[in-house]
Amino acid sequence: MTNPPDCEDNSGQEGSEDSNGKKERPSETAIGSNFEERELGQISDLEIVRRLWKYIRPYKGIFFACLALLPIITAARLLQPHLIQVAIDSHLVPGDYQGLIWVITGFAGAVIGKAAFEYLQFYLMQKAGQSSLVDLRQHIFDHVQKRPTDFFHDNPVGRLMTRMTTDVESLQDAVSSGMITMVGDFLMLFGIAAILIYKDWRLALVSFSILPLLVGLTAIFRHYLRQAYRDVRTKIARLYAHLQESITGMNIIQLFVRENVSADEYRDINTEYRNANLRSIRYDAMLYAVVEAVGSITIGAIIWYGSGQVLQDLTTLGVLVAFIEYMRKFFRPIRDLAEKYNQFQSAIASGERIFQLLDNDEKIPQKDDPKQLPETPLTIEFDDVWFAYNEDEWILKDVSFTVEPGERVALVGHTGAGKTTITNLLLRLYDIDRGSIRINGIDIREFDLRAYRRFFAVVLQDVFLFEGSVRENLTLGDDSISEEEIEQAARAVHAHQMVQKYDDGYEHHVTERGANLSAGEKQLIAFARALVLHPEILILDEATASVDTDTEALIQDAVEVLLDQQTSLVIAHRLSTIESSDRILVLHRGEIVERGTHSELLKNNGHYSKLHRLQYAETDTTSGSPSSDPAAAVGE
Amino acid sequence: MSTDDHAETSHPLSIDVPDDVHSEKLWGYFFRYGWWFALGAVFLVLTNLAKFAIPAYIGMAVEKMRAAMQSGQLDFSMVRSEVIWFGQIIMILAVAAGIARILSRITIFYPGRYIEFDLRNDLYEKLSDLTPSFYDPAPTGDLTSRVTNDVQRVRVFYALTFLHIVNTGLAYGIGIWRMAGVDLSLTLICLAPYPFLLGGILYLGRALFKQTKVVQAKLSDLSTKVQENLTGMSVVKSFVLEGRESDQYSELNNEFYDENMELAVIRGGLNALVALVAGIGTTMLLIIGTQRVLAGTLTLGQFVEFNGYVVALAFPTIAMGWVFQIWHRGRAAFDRIIEILAREPTLEDPADSDDSDAVSLPPVDGSQPRGRVDMENVSFSYDEDDVLHDIDLTIPAGSTVAFVGRTGSGKSTLVKLLTRLYDPDEGTIRLDGAPIDRVGLRELRSEIGFVPQEPLLFSMTLRQNIRFGLDAFDYDETIGRRAPNSALIPPSESGLEPPLSEDQRVQQAIDVAGLRPDIDGFSDGLETLVGERGVTLSGGQKQRVTLARALLVDPRLLILDDALSSVDTKTEHLILDRLEYIMEGRTSILLTHRFNALNRVDRIYVLEQGEIIERGTHDELIEQGGLYANMYERQQLEETLES
Repeated sequence: MTNPPDCEDNSGQEGSEDSNGKKERPSETAIGSNFEERELGQISDLEIVRRLWKYIRPYKGIFFACLALLPIITAARLLQPHLIQVAIDSHLVPGDYQGLIWVITGFAGAVIGKAAFEYLQFYLMQKAGQSSLVDLRQHIFDHVQKRPTDFFHDNPVGRLMTRMTTDVESLQDAVSSGMITMVGDFLMLFGIAAILIYKDWRLALVSFSILPLLVGLTAIFRHYLRQAYRDVRTKIARLYAHLQESITGMNIIQLFVRENVSADEYRDINTEYRNANLRSIRYDAMLYAVVEAVGSITIGAIIWYGSGQVLQDLTTLGVLVAFIEYMRKFFRPIRDLAEKYNQFQSAIASGERIFQLLDNDEKIPQKDDPKQLPETPLTIEFDDVWFAYNEDEWILKDVSFTVEPGERVALVGHTGAGKTTITNLLLRLYDIDRGSIRINGIDIREFDLRAYRRFFAVVLQDVFLFEGSVRENLTLGDDSISEEEIEQAARAVHAHQMVQKYDDGYEHHVTERGANLSAGEKQLIAFARALVLHPEILILDEATASVDTDTEALIQDAVEVLLDQQTSLVIAHRLSTIESSDRILVLHRGEIVERGTHSELLKNNGHYSKLHRLQYAETDTTSGSPSSDPAAAVGE
Repeated sequence: MSTDDHAETSHPLSIDVPDDVHSEKLWGYFFRYGWWFALGAVFLVLTNLAKFAIPAYIGMAVEKMRAAMQSGQLDFSMVRSEVIWFGQIIMILAVAAGIARILSRITIFYPGRYIEFDLRNDLYEKLSDLTPSFYDPAPTGDLTSRVTNDVQRVRVFYALTFLHIVNTGLAYGIGIWRMAGVDLSLTLICLAPYPFLLGGILYLGRALFKQTKVVQAKLSDLSTKVQENLTGMSVVKSFVLEGRESDQYSELNNEFYDENMELAVIRGGLNALVALVAGIGTTMLLIIGTQRVLAGTLTLGQFVEFNGYVVALAFPTIAMGWVFQIWHRGRAAFDRIIEILAREPTLEDPADSDDSDAVSLPPVDGSQPRGRVDMENVSFSYDEDDVLHDIDLTIPAGSTVAFVGRTGSGKSTLVKLLTRLYDPDEGTIRLDGAPIDRVGLRELRSEIGFVPQEPLLFSMTLRQNIRFGLDAFDYDETIGRRAPNSALIPPSESGLEPPLSEDQRVQQAIDVAGLRPDIDGFSDGLETLVGERGVTLSGGQKQRVTLARALLVDPRLLILDDALSSVDTKTEHLILDRLEYIMEGRTSILLTHRFNALNRVDRIYVLEQGEIIERGTHDELIEQGGLYANMYERQQLEETLES
């Protein structure tokens, strides 16, 4: 039995093959292969710039101040070579010291002035840019808050996150400095060209003669570089998709001993990614070197041709030196322009994605003149309600029922029968397709949506808690709720005892999504939250999550307390909850097939009694009735 | 209460890495591509030599022309041809410098990318080896950021710090050598401001580094808020919290702005210094050099030449400011990466060691059931918490058993011990007689089919998800097993005698798991993509896919960890009926909260606070009158009350 540890031994028992029996791994079937880049190009670049401008407009004073600083800065830069020319021609060549001090002072002034104004301009640009991004970010956030529930099905959290963080960030450079420095670069280029032509047009022509070559080479390298970058982007997205899934699913990968296969897949994508990068390095190096070399080549050409001009006294030595100096400043902006153009392009792409999101104006329609909310108590009426998430796939068919004030109505049925849909519709998370839902006789679409929703408190199966204290999670930011009210509500649903276990009581910090609390604890907090808010109507989607028997007893008790307080609509899973309901609506494939009290329905011997037998008649002990005093069990 | 510092030290991912391991890794990656870097340095020498030769020729040309004009000659043709020659040399030098520049960038950036490539692969392989004791406390966001962003920073660290440190060193060396050749004292005077400016750049560089970290922390706060808001959107809507959410976001948004503006002040200052560097050398030259030209101790040509040098030194000086930031960022990133790379898996894999104690699982005999499990006095605790205590049991090969008990009773931990995600503190677990901690880790796991409590699928096609467990058998040379060909449905029913093809087995697994109607409902069938851009499966569908995935492996031991909780009772019964054939030949372990299937199993273990308090068949346990019977009785009582 104790064989050597090698895996080879194992293969012996499986058959005669050794490791050669393995297949070639198909390359297209990697983890995370379900990845594609999204099509862009629906909105024109100009339109995107125009819309971005809307966010800058409130800060246009600052923006124009930056623009106004540009000529000053450019002048300071252009002045420097000219002053060297003056120093050479008027002072150094003739040996005249008189006035040289002013030339030097002027030069130093230009250097310092340029630094100072550039600082000022940079600061102002950042101020305008960052301010407009704050507005943009807020706008996106608020926009997303207003979208209906449908929207969140089509736009997964990951994508929305990217829009609101990465995409806005990549706008940052373009909005806050890109546009203005680009204008500055152009100003600089035209300024140098104009000055050179003015000083000596023949020499200027010689200086610029290499420009077509530069532009041509740049265009070629850019073209390949862009392709390489595009490749890099798709590859890295695939790489990260694979990595992300591998990390979250590492347990499963390990248990299915797929580590090596996954690592091979990863290595393959990584290789493609690396090769795309190597390609980009080659073109980038050429582009970089060409721009650097062109400056010096031009200087050679200036000396070559210019020496004739100087010696024939058609131009001065100072002008020749000034040309050399100007040429040293001329080519870097050209390279930067290409780089900034790239940056601008990716900003445009981000801008487009953001505006596509902002253009989505799906919403639950709102009446311009909403009706006054009705006086309590409230009666809910569903009248021939039809609803489909997707066209023609009816989720609810002809559903009618009434919930009288103070009544408890339980919704029962298989998964997919339409229970959750009913509560979603009541909350107006979706609007119905046919029929009407009325509160005290008024169609709910007539009310102001948000005011209307305040009637309700909702406890969902999967309890969502915010990061913050327990208290904040109970009051949801409503400071008018007093200490006593909180405690009273918490006591009623056994949450108080639980909270008392923490050293810091109600100030206990709940981590992201309530990860530091157990499922049962989260439930109890959600119950307390629902009580604290004093809703007119309670919607409860009972959790099916398994909790231990004692906690279950507490929860069951708490549910009773909770439901006794007000009108309630319950998606019920617990037998006890169902039994004590005033009415049970049995849903089957979107229709109410039976209604009545528990005992009525059992007598009916219909769908409910069948469901009941399947679901509850067999041993589902975890939801058994409380065996001991619920309060005593909390201490555990 | 808990300060940032506190949070920093107790970070779940941080470990102490010995200095020698650290520097060995750091230099290891560098020296792996040492020849590339060395070649890059050679090309940097060449490009700088060529580049710094150019100002001399400019100076000579200027001086030749000035001398000729002052001499009062009339025929300049000699001078002219000489100057033209200078012009041509400059062009040749420019091209040479350009070519050397291209090669230097390629030879330095290539190894950067290769190091990145290696780092990514090494990290992935390390992550594949690490166990839940690493993953459970690790915040996923942090982990992901280390293997993505930090890797980029380290790549930039290697390539750019090398490039700029060498390039700046060479530029200064060659530049000063050439300048000193013209006029030593002028060199010292003109370069005098540079150390101060460099000091300023380094100072602001440090401030920039720090403030960038602050800004990034704020950005991550902002992202966290967005994430919370989006994941809790239904609660936000139901409780009409949009306004509060917007206010909270706005507050963070404004804090982010404030920190960004503070960053802008630093960046602006740095830009201003850079601008000063570019002009200060020439200014000094104008102040001192002009005096010397007028005094006749410096020629005009030398003056112009000198200016060429000071201008050429501006960029290498500025680059040091970047190097500083890249250095700090890169080192910090490397530290975070090494905290992963230097980790040793907490489990020993006998297949990795030359341990002669290592054993293999006994071969499978087709006619005999397999998967006998023995647990001898097994105890386990997380940190201080006793989770399992003295578990002693034997599950005969081919039987089906269930573990029941409350949350926290230790059921899930038991499974983690069986699959060797953790090792017990005490006691031995055997599979078919072999102690599992002496069987190759992967050999062991390749014989276990696990259906997790929370179904996890990958964004691939449904088919790829279902045959996920076969990938290793098919493609991995180090796995001894081959893809099985056994039937999942009795041949008498399906009419298919083994050996079965993979596709036939996939189809049978789909039938057994009750996935047929779901897959028929997708227009792309098995080729339907799962995940964001494909279908989003319901919880029940996912669970059934994970069941099919486990069945295809044809394991010795099948473990279903509350695996049908999202499937309705009726379907559950159907699935369990069909599973019977598969369960016959192997051991199956069910963990469940739903007791409605328990009269099927051979034996039930009732766990309570880490101990087995009852064991037996359903009927036996009822007779025994313990906890199980109590729970069951309570259920019965409820039933009578109802009717």
